[in-house]
Amino acid sequence: MDGLNHIQHIVTFAWWIALDFSVLLYILLDGADLGAGVFSLFVRSHHERGAIMSAMAGTWDANETWLIVAGGVLFGTFPFVYGSAFNYLMVPLALALWGMITRALALEFRHLAETPWQRFSDICFGFSSLAVAFFGGMAVGAVLHGYPLTNTPGVVPTYIGGSWRFITPFSIWTGIAAVIAVTLAGVLFIRARFEHGEPIREQAARWTKTIFWLALVAVAITVAISASIFPWASKKWFGHNFWIWGIVLLAVIFTAYKMRVASHADRDFTAILWFNAAVAIMAGAMMWTVYPWLVPNTWTIYTGASPAVSLFTFTLAMGGFFPVMLMYNAYQIWVFRARVSALAAYH
Amino acid sequence: MSNSALSVFLSRLDFAWITTFHIIYPPLTIGLAMLLFFAEWRWVATKDDRWYHVVRFFSRLFIVNFAAGVATGITMEMAFGILYGPFSQAAGPFFGQVLGYETITAFMYEAGFIGLMIFGWGKISKGMHLFATFNVALSSSLSAMWILDANSWMQTPTGVALKNGVFEVTDWVAAIFNPDVWLGFPHMLIACVELALCFVIAVSAWFVLTRKHVDLFQRPLQYAVLALVIIAPLQVYLGDGLGLIVAQDQPAALAAMEGHYHTYNPDGSVDTSWKVVGWPNAKGDDFAWSISVPHVLSLLETHTWNGKVPGLDTIPPENRPPVVVPFYAFRIMAAAGGALMLFAFWGAFLILRGRFALGRIVQNRLFLWAAILCGFLPYISIWCGWWVREVGRQPWVVYGMMRTEQGVSHMDVTSALLWLLGYMYFEIIVWGSTWFFFAKVMRSGPDLDSPVVHGGHQHLGELEPRPGRHEAPSYVRPI
Repeated sequence: MDGLNHIQHIVTFAWWIALDFSVLLYILLDGADLGAGVFSLFVRSHHERGAIMSAMAGTWDANETWLIVAGGVLFGTFPFVYGSAFNYLMVPLALALWGMITRALALEFRHLAETPWQRFSDICFGFSSLAVAFFGGMAVGAVLHGYPLTNTPGVVPTYIGGSWRFITPFSIWTGIAAVIAVTLAGVLFIRARFEHGEPIREQAARWTKTIFWLALVAVAITVAISASIFPWASKKWFGHNFWIWGIVLLAVIFTAYKMRVASHADRDFTAILWFNAAVAIMAGAMMWTVYPWLVPNTWTIYTGASPAVSLFTFTLAMGGFFPVMLMYNAYQIWVFRARVSALAAYH
Repeated sequence: MSNSALSVFLSRLDFAWITTFHIIYPPLTIGLAMLLFFAEWRWVATKDDRWYHVVRFFSRLFIVNFAAGVATGITMEMAFGILYGPFSQAAGPFFGQVLGYETITAFMYEAGFIGLMIFGWGKISKGMHLFATFNVALSSSLSAMWILDANSWMQTPTGVALKNGVFEVTDWVAAIFNPDVWLGFPHMLIACVELALCFVIAVSAWFVLTRKHVDLFQRPLQYAVLALVIIAPLQVYLGDGLGLIVAQDQPAALAAMEGHYHTYNPDGSVDTSWKVVGWPNAKGDDFAWSISVPHVLSLLETHTWNGKVPGLDTIPPENRPPVVVPFYAFRIMAAAGGALMLFAFWGAFLILRGRFALGRIVQNRLFLWAAILCGFLPYISIWCGWWVREVGRQPWVVYGMMRTEQGVSHMDVTSALLWLLGYMYFEIIVWGSTWFFFAKVMRSGPDLDSPVVHGGHQHLGELEPRPGRHEAPSYVRPI
């Protein structure tokens, strides 16, 4: 499917960066919302649970929309991957989407419901957040395995392999790892969004200490499994440029350390930024490990790209729409930066 | 039915279900956002606080509807790849690009301002809030434009060539401005406005009928009825125009919509009769019975007395769409549209005769009940209209170029069924809770006790407050 000219190769590469950027923003922004949802399962106070939802009321929709943007870029620029990967991931995506439906209802309808229904809504919110994180993580793990395609001349290779192929020990593990990662993002979010002295903030601080180590262990396990089962990964990591990957590892350890220091010093927003930096470095490293594949051993970014990619549409999107999009999203987050207290649930 | 035929049918049902239970929310979001912008603008311009209370009250209904739209909408974007993978791959260069632009220029644009519009009261200035409402209205309309553009291209796929199983774009301008979108998009956009007007009419009429806050709701009722006097006939006009385009570009779909099996009568003359109702025979090659009116079909589709309209018999049997769904859905849609137009004229008559004054409108219970009923008709119309469009295009997913069975994913019956049952469960809950909370918000009525919020007066906080410094908690839920 690689009938691209030189310019299109460059544009495809740039679109791939834009795709990764959108996915990364989704993980960073909505990951925190999902993690706060997982954390809310362990929050005893009814009002504190309500306040968690109030804390994300103004921004959760835009955060989640980064996933839609990523999907849109994937569909528009890499349609061959979009049409086969999503078919492969039908079951985990359906489960994650049902989680998103449930979360949206819980978030927007809780304050309208009667108290017993609010309790029910809180349980739904917590478990649906857990489900989105788990099945989302599972989908990522499943994609790293690659998937079989049809081989009919004159037709685009399309997914064939059934609905249940996505279940593997590795994909189950990446699901669990995703839950751990978003929970860390969630407790950092809670720390930054609640007033000093609120009990929930103290609870989140205790959680941060434990989850921080859990997350580090999870990353180490994921890297170890990947190195042992994916030849494309071990070949890159232990090849000529092994020292670059060593620097990447040091950078991750450094940012994680800085995050922990900031968190200890009650500099909550700084802690989030360091955490985001760590995730960004790891995501970038993963993308570079997989490159030139978009889906390992299945589609490269060039074979998966639409023959219609053009410099014109790319410039229009990246030069015009993306910066504007980032601007109004940043403004919205800025407006809703005030810390809340459990009182917020009363309104 | 063979296993594969069954799974193709199931994946059509899968997509039909999620579309049917998504399309009832965004049109209200689109239309109501425009009306909210109008009302908020009147408040800012006239400083009449009744407008403010109307805005805040309808905003609460708006956000309930918006949440349902988001909940059901995220699925839609993923579902093309999940259920129609080969179609997504083949059509990706155009269709995917258009949907991609929709997410970047419309979906995210809307999400970026909806939080400010709903939760920004007291945090941002009056002007900024009005600007946010304006952006929500504009972005949601843009979203409709992209979606209808993509769908119209599936009806009239111009500007592409099928090469190696991929629709390569040969002419972007021809593909984007395909013949169907010129009226397909306006027809949908005006449907959104009509739905929102009828929604406002029904909600306001309920308050007037139950004599609660009559002074607040009489005005939106009157304004919306006046707007409907223009919008309802405009929609009929646009629908008629779209019918002509369908007649020209998709003769099979038109023949199915009209139950027009035979081009010629048995005696050799052109069949010009329009079937009011009917039912197909067992073989499916003609109506077993029907009630018809001569010349009306030719008048409708060719705007002439005896014009020839190609029947289903001009289409090879394997390319004929089903008849019953497009035929009846079309009739119900048109009847609802006509009824809304008559209702609008009735309302205009009452306004002209001065019977809409505060004291008099509350006594006209018949009109108010009709107004409440009007709130439901556009929903039915939108459903039926979409079914006409989608079922009428069958057996093609891209009209005349790609058949539906070529476009569906390789799915076994179990997973196709799992999807359907799962979405039936979740989306019926969404639907039920949306209407439950509509009713609840209506029963609780507008909040006239809280002070009117004028611009940003709240402390927005600092990202890293110095330890020991205490912030005053300030957070306002939408009332």
